[in-house]
Amino acid sequence: MYLVCLHEVFFNFWIDKGVTNQVLENYFPILLFIVIGLVLGVSMIVIGFGLGKIMGHARPYKAKQSPYECGFEAFENARIKFDVRYYLVAILFIIFDLEIAFLFPWAVVLDEIGMAGFWAMMIFLAVLVVGFIYEWRKGALEWE
Amino acid sequence: MISKAEILILMPEIFILTLACLILIVDTFSQDPLRRVTYYLSQLTLVLTAVLVIGFSPEQTVYAFGNSFISDGMSVVLKTGVFVISFFAFLYSHEYLKEHGWLKGEYFVLGLFAILGMMILISAYSLLTVYLGLELLSLSLYAMIAMHRESTTASEAAMKFFVLGAIASGMLLYGMSMIYGVTGSLELGTIATNIESNGDNPLLVFGLVFIMVGIAFKLGAVPFHMWIPDVYQGSPTCVTLFIASAPKLAAFAMAMRLLVDGLQPLLNDWQGMLIILSILSMATGNIIAISQTNIKRMLAYSTIAHVGFLLLGLLSGTPSGYAGSMFYIITYALMSMGAFGMIILLGRKGFEADELAHFKGLSERSPWFAFIMLILMFSMAGVPPFLGFWGKWFVLKEVVDAGFVWLAATAVFFSIIGAYYYIRVIKFMYFDKADSMTAIKASKQMRFALSVNGLALLILGLMPGALLAICVSVLSIAA
Amino acid sequence: MIEQTVFYIFSALLLLSAGLMITVRNPVFAALFLILSFFSTSAIWLLLEAEFLAITLVVVYVGAVMILFMFVVMMLDINLSALREGFARYLPIGGMVAISMALSMVLVINAGEFGLASDTVQRHGADYSNTKELGVALYTHYLYPFEIAGAILLVAIIAAITLTMRGPRSSKAQKPGEQVLVKSTDRLRIIKMKSEGADSEPEKDPLAESKLAQSEDITVKKESL
Repeated sequence: MYLVCLHEVFFNFWIDKGVTNQVLENYFPILLFIVIGLVLGVSMIVIGFGLGKIMGHARPYKAKQSPYECGFEAFENARIKFDVRYYLVAILFIIFDLEIAFLFPWAVVLDEIGMAGFWAMMIFLAVLVVGFIYEWRKGALEWE
Repeated sequence: MISKAEILILMPEIFILTLACLILIVDTFSQDPLRRVTYYLSQLTLVLTAVLVIGFSPEQTVYAFGNSFISDGMSVVLKTGVFVISFFAFLYSHEYLKEHGWLKGEYFVLGLFAILGMMILISAYSLLTVYLGLELLSLSLYAMIAMHRESTTASEAAMKFFVLGAIASGMLLYGMSMIYGVTGSLELGTIATNIESNGDNPLLVFGLVFIMVGIAFKLGAVPFHMWIPDVYQGSPTCVTLFIASAPKLAAFAMAMRLLVDGLQPLLNDWQGMLIILSILSMATGNIIAISQTNIKRMLAYSTIAHVGFLLLGLLSGTPSGYAGSMFYIITYALMSMGAFGMIILLGRKGFEADELAHFKGLSERSPWFAFIMLILMFSMAGVPPFLGFWGKWFVLKEVVDAGFVWLAATAVFFSIIGAYYYIRVIKFMYFDKADSMTAIKASKQMRFALSVNGLALLILGLMPGALLAICVSVLSIAA
Repeated sequence: MIEQTVFYIFSALLLLSAGLMITVRNPVFAALFLILSFFSTSAIWLLLEAEFLAITLVVVYVGAVMILFMFVVMMLDINLSALREGFARYLPIGGMVAISMALSMVLVINAGEFGLASDTVQRHGADYSNTKELGVALYTHYLYPFEIAGAILLVAIIAAITLTMRGPRSSKAQKPGEQVLVKSTDRLRIIKMKSEGADSEPEKDPLAESKLAQSEDITVKKESL
């Protein structure tokens, strides 16, 4: 509720100044959201660290700062290699994600582009369905 | 909107895409370790698409899909060339993959997609389709190289090709964006008229430089040739064979479309660039090839030298010069296919005959194939009765006609240097003792195809008129 | 006013994050800075009223491509010191190329050449949809390139699978479904044996031997499952 009010206030201000832009106006709440998110996040960090610095006390020494691994010295780097299968899943995801990016404007203009546009997308989808069948048959979608 | 006629023009592309998809699905059901169904279907697709291309070839130049597609004489001839060469390349590849034991159905499917990319590139009439065709072609090739996963050299070759290819594509795209920014059009014809009417703009030359980098990389002209030796040597021989033959036709078409169809008004600018590229390529290719001991690497440098020659025809800036270049590139594709085919022929499981020394004493092991190799090498060196001589001859004639006598003299000088390393192979075959007398193990089809390939160079060399007449006629219509 | 302020903030953020992306040592941080620069770019696109591109940048690049980047960073186990070797060696020549490129760009490129110098960027009303404009162009005029893009995506699928699939794995996980479906005949095979003569060794019980054979059979069957 408060946000909406703020929105109104800002817009009235803008319209008074005569600098509004119609399209961008629609995105004003998002800008506001980003600003509030930033302010909130930064202030929390600043306050947290600030209070910690003022009120807490830090006396680090070697043993305290060394990584703890069940009492042993750390054996290896904490970062382990991923299996290549994650990569395969990710790349297949990207391909179908891109497909959706194409579907979006298509859905918006479907009534304007006629049958040619409709069938163009059907062919596009058919080509990718072939890819999907191939994936399925090859077992690339199975994790085990 | 889309008319029925437009779809009919695109028929060969639609057909090959449909069949490639079908083969991909069929292949997943195949249990056959030799992938016969996949292989025969792929070959059938090539034959039928070739028939379609010739059958649907238009009387005069036709544009389709908002002028992003062109079908003219050059596109029909080059596409037919791509099919013939790919047919042989698939045949050699099937033999090679069978022998070396990592046959996969996807190899042929990716090959078909690469061919589709070449077709799109050859028929491209807008900057967008040029780029997309090129990407389709390159992506398929990267995957084909890396497909042999046990081989570290193949992975290295794929990696180098991919990284450098991506940079070159970026350069090309940047240049295209400059040209688009100035002319406000993606379509090559409109770009040419816009440049002509609006005159000089430094940005055009700036864009041209980047486009030239992209073209030079794809063709493999010095100083953008670094990938060629490593990729040719590292890739499995059957993939090298494929890369070294058919895509060169597509790269030539790309140069023709971009430079001649789109940027013809900037002829004076790109002519100078091509002269530099050409001389550097001929010098570097021919001189470094002499010191190679690996025949795949030697042929890679010979490719660079041949590209230098090819550019001579392009830079003459006349339709007959372009025809000479087209003749040259078809000739070159046939020769390099045969030469890599010989390496496949001599190899066997766990053994690649990719050192020059492996050709020692070939005349004792197999007089016939030593003779075929002799034809190939003489043809590459440009010795008279063979086809390679005519390619060089026509290109040189055009350069002289265009008034660059000094350039023609330089080209002759470097090709004489180049003759040395071709003839050295012949010396190895006929005058040296073989290290091992292992009999050549190859199937009938392989022997037959390679013989046809070699003899074609001899027969076409004895009567080069027909092929040249085709090249001249299609390009004089276009210009 | 506000629009310009927003533009300057996001372009500053973009430059900063892009710069940090190539200078930070930790590849994971580099990837995160790349995400930040994608975000800033998408904000700038939004200011140009290219809504669809802005959203696609977030959905596809930030949502999907960056995940892939992260996987690759995790997968490669990059040795940082090795990566930095040779930096000083290549710096002079690389720097020279970079400076000459930058100089020529500054000399040649300016907005006037593209006919953009005039300050009259067309602004649209609230009902203007960039997505719509894009869709109409893409599915009528650029239909052929669009289909080629489909073929390229298919090649990407094929390439990704052939290059990274290692085939079905022999994992030792239990499959309860198959365990339930097992019938006794799958596990136990009763073999008819000729009874041995009475004169054969008496301690060797034929029944015991057939049991042994059966139990061996069971183990074999289990392994094959």
